[in-house]
Amino acid sequence: MNVVNKKILAVDDEPAIRTMMKLLQRQAGWQVDTAASAEEALEMVSHENYDVYFLDLNLPGIDGIELCRRIKAIKPDAVAYAVTGYASNLHKQECLNAGFTDYFTKPVKLSELVKAARQVD
Amino acid sequence: MQIMIVDDDPTSRTILQAVLEKWGFETMLASDGEEAWNLMQQENSPRLLLVDWMMPGIDGPTLCRKIREEMSRESFYILMLTARDSRKDLIMGLESGADDYIGKPWDNEELKARLNVGRRILQLQNESSRRQRLQGVLEMAGAVCHELNQPLQVVSGYTEMLMTEVKEDDPIRESLEKILEGVEKMGNLTSKLMQITDYQTRGYLDGKLSIIDINKSAKE
Repeated sequence: MNVVNKKILAVDDEPAIRTMMKLLQRQAGWQVDTAASAEEALEMVSHENYDVYFLDLNLPGIDGIELCRRIKAIKPDAVAYAVTGYASNLHKQECLNAGFTDYFTKPVKLSELVKAARQVD
Repeated sequence: MQIMIVDDDPTSRTILQAVLEKWGFETMLASDGEEAWNLMQQENSPRLLLVDWMMPGIDGPTLCRKIREEMSRESFYILMLTARDSRKDLIMGLESGADDYIGKPWDNEELKARLNVGRRILQLQNESSRRQRLQGVLEMAGAVCHELNQPLQVVSGYTEMLMTEVKEDDPIRESLEKILEGVEKMGNLTSKLMQITDYQTRGYLDGKLSIIDINKSAKE
């Protein structure tokens, strides 16, 4: 397998999910950083270039949709996927408007996330 | 719409039945207040009632009071038929719980118009309570999806990770696959909950209980 060293940022307020995303590092051979909030994520984005973002929508403080808008404002080429526990159709449209490439509803197979990240050049 | 005609006079009952059925109502007949009360205890009994004032035993006003006191959580529209026309009587009739009244002998066009008012009010109430129930279901579904999908993600993600660490012929693999199958089923269920657009129920435990029919309530 052609191992491209991708840099991923996963944002989720659930510690068990952050740990799980970190474990992807070992599986896919990528660098995976995690943040528990949008504020923490924005701080990381300011001095690191990530290839792919996995953002939970329901975050304390700034929510995932606003976070996506802010990331896209700084890094217009960023590829962001929403990973959400609850998505009404209204939410889905809002996600696409905010700049998300696609969205996944939890529980999502990790292999799906890996596949999505692999598609990013 | 179903309507209950409550009148002790067989001739009036027959005439009313014929006229109301001609106007498209389904009729149920009761020959006095007591019979009406008993019929009302049955499931799906009519919500629209045409009640004669003067009856032996439980009369019209007494029946109205009983309905308003003992079935106060349910909506009924009661149109009282009365030969009394003093202001005092009419006030008493309305205060006993009737929604409207019509004098005897009645004019058919007026009766039809007054019954249509009742039908319209009941339909509005019905629609409004259906919307309220749906709103409640949607809020509950949202909370369930939100709270359940998070731990489901944890179970499914970590199980998937474990799968990559066990060999193809390891018997544990089958157990892990079963866990993932279970998670997938729950995931399909929560995803259906997110697509609820209607309020549909189904009987449960031999019809003793009524529960939301998730398949019917969710949009395809």
